[in-house]
This record gives sequence, structure tokens and C-alpha cells, in this order.
Amino acid sequence: MNAILDKLFLNTTKFIAIAVLLIVAWIFSTLIEHSMVSLEAFGFSFVTESKWAPNLEKFGALPAIYGSVVSTFLAMLLAIPIAIGIAIFLSELAPPKLKSLVGVSIELLAAIPSVIYGMWGLFYFVPIIRDIFGGIGISMLTAGIVLSIMILPFMAAVTRDAMNTTPDILKESAYALGGTRWDIIKDIVIPYAKAGIIGSFILALGRAIGETMAVTFVMGNVHKISLDLTAPATSIPVTLANEFTEADTDLYYSSLFELSLILLIISFTIISVAKFYFLRRKRSF
Amino acid sequence: MATIVNIKEEKALVVKDFEFTYASADTPSIKKLDMPVAKNSITALIGPSGCGKTTLLRSFNRMHDLYPGNRYDGKILFKEKNILGPKIDLINLRIQIGMIFQKPTAFPMSIFDNVAYGMKLQGIKNKTELYDRVEKALRDAAIWKEVKDRLKHDANGLSGGQQQRLCIARAIAVEPEVLLFDEPTSALDPISTAGIEELIIELRERVSIVIVTHNMQQAARVSDYTGFMYLGELIELGRTEELFVTPKEKLTEEYITGKFG
Amino acid sequence: MTHTQKRVLLNNIIMTLSTISAIIGIGFLFWILGILVINGVDALSWNIFTQEGAPPGYEDGGLKHALIGQLMIVGVATFFGVPFGILAGTYLSEYGQKSKLAETIRDVSDIMMSAPSIVIGAFVYAIVVVPMGHFSGWAGSIALTIIMLPIILRTTDDMLQLVPSTLREAAFALGAPKYKVITQVVYRGAKAGIFTGILLGIARVAGETAPLLFTSFNDNFLNTDMMEPMASLTVTMYNYATSPYEDWQRLGWAAAFILSMFILTLNILGRIFIMKKREK
Repeated sequence: MNAILDKLFLNTTKFIAIAVLLIVAWIFSTLIEHSMVSLEAFGFSFVTESKWAPNLEKFGALPAIYGSVVSTFLAMLLAIPIAIGIAIFLSELAPPKLKSLVGVSIELLAAIPSVIYGMWGLFYFVPIIRDIFGGIGISMLTAGIVLSIMILPFMAAVTRDAMNTTPDILKESAYALGGTRWDIIKDIVIPYAKAGIIGSFILALGRAIGETMAVTFVMGNVHKISLDLTAPATSIPVTLANEFTEADTDLYYSSLFELSLILLIISFTIISVAKFYFLRRKRSF
Repeated sequence: MATIVNIKEEKALVVKDFEFTYASADTPSIKKLDMPVAKNSITALIGPSGCGKTTLLRSFNRMHDLYPGNRYDGKILFKEKNILGPKIDLINLRIQIGMIFQKPTAFPMSIFDNVAYGMKLQGIKNKTELYDRVEKALRDAAIWKEVKDRLKHDANGLSGGQQQRLCIARAIAVEPEVLLFDEPTSALDPISTAGIEELIIELRERVSIVIVTHNMQQAARVSDYTGFMYLGELIELGRTEELFVTPKEKLTEEYITGKFG
Repeated sequence: MTHTQKRVLLNNIIMTLSTISAIIGIGFLFWILGILVINGVDALSWNIFTQEGAPPGYEDGGLKHALIGQLMIVGVATFFGVPFGILAGTYLSEYGQKSKLAETIRDVSDIMMSAPSIVIGAFVYAIVVVPMGHFSGWAGSIALTIIMLPIILRTTDDMLQLVPSTLREAAFALGAPKYKVITQVVYRGAKAGIFTGILLGIARVAGETAPLLFTSFNDNFLNTDMMEPMASLTVTMYNYATSPYEDWQRLGWAAAFILSMFILTLNILGRIFIMKKREK
């Protein structure tokens, strides 16, 4: 009896664990299957064509890809220095009480749903951008900034964690040679925690590029590549959120699936790089 | 009152009426301590764990300042100046009073850059000068032969004993006047330990040394003077050969004969 | 100026800059939090809990439909996601261990955890909504289950691995079969950690909006039939906030506040459990 139950338990758990792999495979195959119409119609030109006109049955993904890349790049550009600043403040500067108070608030803020960052962006940040830059305030720039604020808590928390892995004794050795705080951070902490810090940044990048709700309020869903950052734009997730329920033809529908597929591949690639290249095994001390 | 032997040599450090209180504690961890440290000799600090020997050592280069809320009282004189005073330049102090830690602490950089680090901090950029001084420091630390062909390699590839020599080379490269050793061999095997001990004895000619050790034999082997600490106080400071053979204090005798600790 | 003075100056400049950037970053985050609390508390009223959605202009609109819909969608996702996640995690820690299969499952679920949630929505749309012909609460729950699964799986795996192997050996030495060792001894040792994982998993999916947009969709009135489109706090927030009507926007803020408080409470509870466990 016990032997049968033992086998049953093993096989049940094993089956469910393998199901996780199957689900991922199923996601990929479903997205590919539903992208077929668009793949056949446009081929590779789907990603190089910049015209997205549902009424003409013309679908080019370039504006959405461009928007995803630029808004994420802007977000990283703004968030990285501030995240490093917060991490230095939390790991090397703040007095212990402030350290845990601010540290915990940052971790909790990372748990706030992204849709709330989007709402805040729409009601409070769009008017500011409008006042400063003119226009309607809904733009690539707004999306980049809101996105940077959304990923900031996550980035700051993981950067701090990575910095905190530097052994105290290593830092003390450098102080004992007459180093300043900044000498220690630049020569010891950052080189020591480099892989962890870069890995976390890339992980944050992976999250930012797939983020929907923080940007969909403030980007405008305009399929036009514009070098003017204050002009409305779109990204892959923004296009999906706005148009998925409106797709009325097979080609339109399939084009949206191809966008999903592209997004999934981009984010899988980024996250895999972070995970396998930078966050593998930590050096032991 | 502690029994303190008269020291013939000049004094590298003089501790006067010194108290130290950790931020998290109500009572001082070191109480009213007086102690001289002789120049160009080796002073060992022994005592059971928690007696304050490492705390005292880390006061000499103000390492405690890295963590907020710790308090010093009294005086520690170094070159006739109180290093606990408010106007003391900590960076300068730490350049003159170097430290070696319980574990080897090779920085995440090449062997060469490890040794050159302290000099680079002082603004020495001249390549040949740097190279000459790195070589000299590595020779003095008796590790030159082992590393001369791989100066550009990551220092973490060295063995524990080699890394500790590297740390000593790094510390002496900036030509400090005092070197503090905090249980420098506690993470090493017996052979590496013997090598480090030999090195410490050789260094005596150029620097004044204070070494904290949990190992009485080590104190007996390397030091000229030995201080025995207990519960935050210095019980006895004597010439090493006298302290271990004819201790003046009963507590010292009990400790070195293994009655407690 | 000596080199050391230069270093000290540079240090002071950079430490000031980093403090300033910390103040800016933290300031922005507290600004958002402050707005959320002010607008949310301001919009709270009894109506919110007792009334369903109303057309714009009617004073007595509420969020009852969205609250109940949210609880049902997340509840069903938890009902499936938690046991499946725990069982799969059990396989990894207790049977698979360092095998190639187990490591692959770990890696893939780590990647899944950061995959864009809107893509999961598109997937569920294709496999559930299209065959059914319409949006439904079930579709939303399935999307959230897929998102929750890797989270529960990885925390279970991690927490079970923390249970000392001597505990398992002691139980085996008494002649217990492996499934009993796991269910009666190992689970007990990892209880607090797994529970925290569950709380954090629920908190994570409760805030998801994108995967619900085209699965459970929305309904402005109370619906408890999982086969039909269903309101959720997050999608309601999205729709109300982007509407031009001020009373709907107010309800949007109320929804944002209630949801955030729920998620923060779960996070804080999770922390407390883990801390209690560590104190022991």
C-alpha cells in the first residue's frame, strides 16, 4: 500500500512539475500558430514596416518595437543612476534606523501594482509634462519617466542587495589603507558586486520592456516613429492593451499575436541573459 | 591596577585612561585602560574571547568609526597627538597605521593592483615608481617569487596563505609606522601560519607591531611584549619571556596555565 | 590641493549626489503613495462596498461588483495555483533535486516569473476565450493561475530545501515511506516559508491588470457566474481612470486604494511570518 502511494505521490508531483515546461511550450506554440496568418502575409517585413493601418489591412510592427525600445531605454537611463544613488545611500550612508525604514518602504513600493503608477502618471505627471513641453503631455517621454519610476523600487532594492553581499572585512581592509567611502564603493563594492548589479539591471530591463499598465495610460498608442520624445507613441504592450479587443479581421488579430510573440521572445532573451550570464553562482568568500 | 612593565624603547602608541563603548551597549567594552606600545617591537594582546583585545586594536586606526554611534573616551597618543581628538584626519591616520585582518582580504583586482592600491590612493601615478615599490613590497612579504610571473592575474586565484602575504605586502607598500594584526593566521593552515609568523618577526625592524591572537604559543613565539586582557581591562603587560614564565598577576597565571578561557 | 584632499572632496561630492538622488527617488515614490492615500481615502464611502457600478452622473455608484469579481477571480486562481505550485515545488526539492530535469524546470519558471503578463493574457485569449466565443471569469482565473504557478513553485522549492536533511533522515529511520516523510515532516518544517510564498504569490497576481484585459474583461454590474465576463478591481480601475467622468475617476482611486492596501497587508504579513520563523 505504502509503495503504491509513494509512487502515486512521486508521479503526481513529477507530472505537475513537467506541466510547467509544457505550459511554456504551449504558450510559444499557440502564439506561433496564431501568428501564422500575419507571418505568411508579411514575412520579415512585419518588423521593418512602419505603417500600421488596420483599416487598410497594413500592419508593420516597427513603431511598436521602436517605442518599446526607446521608452525602456529612457526608463533605464533615468532609473539606473537614481537606483545606484539609493543603493549607495542605503548600503553605505544612511544611519541604521533610516536604512531599515527606507529599505522596507522601497521593497513595499515594489509590490504596488503597476496600474497605479500608470494612474498617477495620467493624472499628475501628464499635466506637468504638458506645462513644460507643451503638446498634450501624453508622450514617449512621459512613458519613459513613469516606467523609470515604476522599476525604481525593484532596481534600488536589488542593487542594494547586491552591494550588501560585499563582505565588511573587505571594505574595512580598504578603509584601513586610507580610502574614502567613494574609493571603497568604486574600487571594492562595485567590482565585487558587478555581476549581481548588472544582472539586476538587465532583469529590470526585462520587466520594463514587458510592462503594460504603467505606460498604456500615458503613451497614446500612436503608430508613428517620431524623433520628438514629446510626441505620442506606442509600444508592443500598449498596442496589445488598446487594440486586442478591437481586432476585427484575421490579419489584424494575427498581427497582434505576432507582436505578442515578438515581445515574449525579446523578454525571454533578456531575462535569460541576466540569469545565465550574470546571476549564475555567486563567488563565495 | 594593572601590572605594567617599564618599557625601555621609545613608544609608538600610548593608551591613557581609554574607554570604548559600542553603540549597542550601555557599558563600556574597554574600561580605563592604560598601555604603552613599544616602537619597533612586537606587542601581542592575548585573553579570552570577548576580553576586548580586538576592540582595542581596532581603536588604534579608528576602525570603529565606520559604524555610527560607537564612543571613545580617554586618549591614545600617536606621535604625541591624541588620535581620538576631533581634528584627526582619519585617512592620514590609517595610512600611517596599517591593518591585517583575520581572513585574507584580497580585493577584486589583479595582484599588482592590490599591492599598488594604497599608493594609488595617495596619488602616486608614476608607472616605474609604482612598479618598483610593488616589487619591493612583494619581496619584503616573501611572495615575490611566487607571483612575479602573474602580477596581472586576479588575486583571488592565490591560496589563503599567499593572499595573506599579499595583504601584508599591500599594507607595507605604503610604509606605515605601525601595523595592526588581528588574528592574522586564524584562517590559515600550520605551514602558512609559520611563514606569516616569520614574516611578522622580520617586519619588526621597520614598523611597530601590535598583534591580537587567540593562540598563546603564537604570542610566545613572535612577540617582545605581551599584554593580557580580561573583561575589558589590561591585567598585565610584560616582556613576553617574563610574562609566560613568571606572571605577576594571579589572573594571568591562571589564564596561561589553562585554568580558564 | 593634495591628492588626498582631492579624494575627500570627490567623496563628499559623490555622497551628496547620491543622497540627493535618493531623496529624489524616494520623494517620487512617496508622492505616489501620498496621492494614492489622499485620493483613495477621500473617495471611500459605504456605497463603494454596497453598490454596483452606475452610469456616470449617478451619485451612488460603487465597486461591489468589482470587489466580488476580484475575489472570485483571484480566489479561483489561488485554489488551483497554490496546490499545483506546491506539488511541483515538492518534486523539484524532494525528488528532482539537482537533476537536469529539475534544473531546467527551475530555470524556465524563473524566466516565466518575469515574462510579460500581457502575453499570458493573449495566450489565454487564444486557448479559452476564442473556443468559448466570449470573455469569462474562468479565462481570467486561468491567466492568473499561470502567472502564480512559477512563484509558488520556486518558493516551495527554496523553502523545502532549507529544511535540514537530518529531519528527513530521522523520519526515514523510523521506517516512514517517502510521501509520509514529505507530507508529515518536511512540509511542517517549511510551513512558515511556504505560507509567506503563498501570500506573496496572491499579492502579486491580485495587482495584475494586463492579463485580465482580454480574458475576464469587465462588467459594470455584479456577476458571479464564472462563465461570463467579470469585473475586477484592476480592470475597473483602468476603465474608470481613463474615462472622462469625474465620479468614475474617484471610484478608480478608491479601487486603487483598496487594492494597494490589500496587497501591502499581504506583503507585511508575509514578512512578519518569515521574521517570526527566523526568531525561533
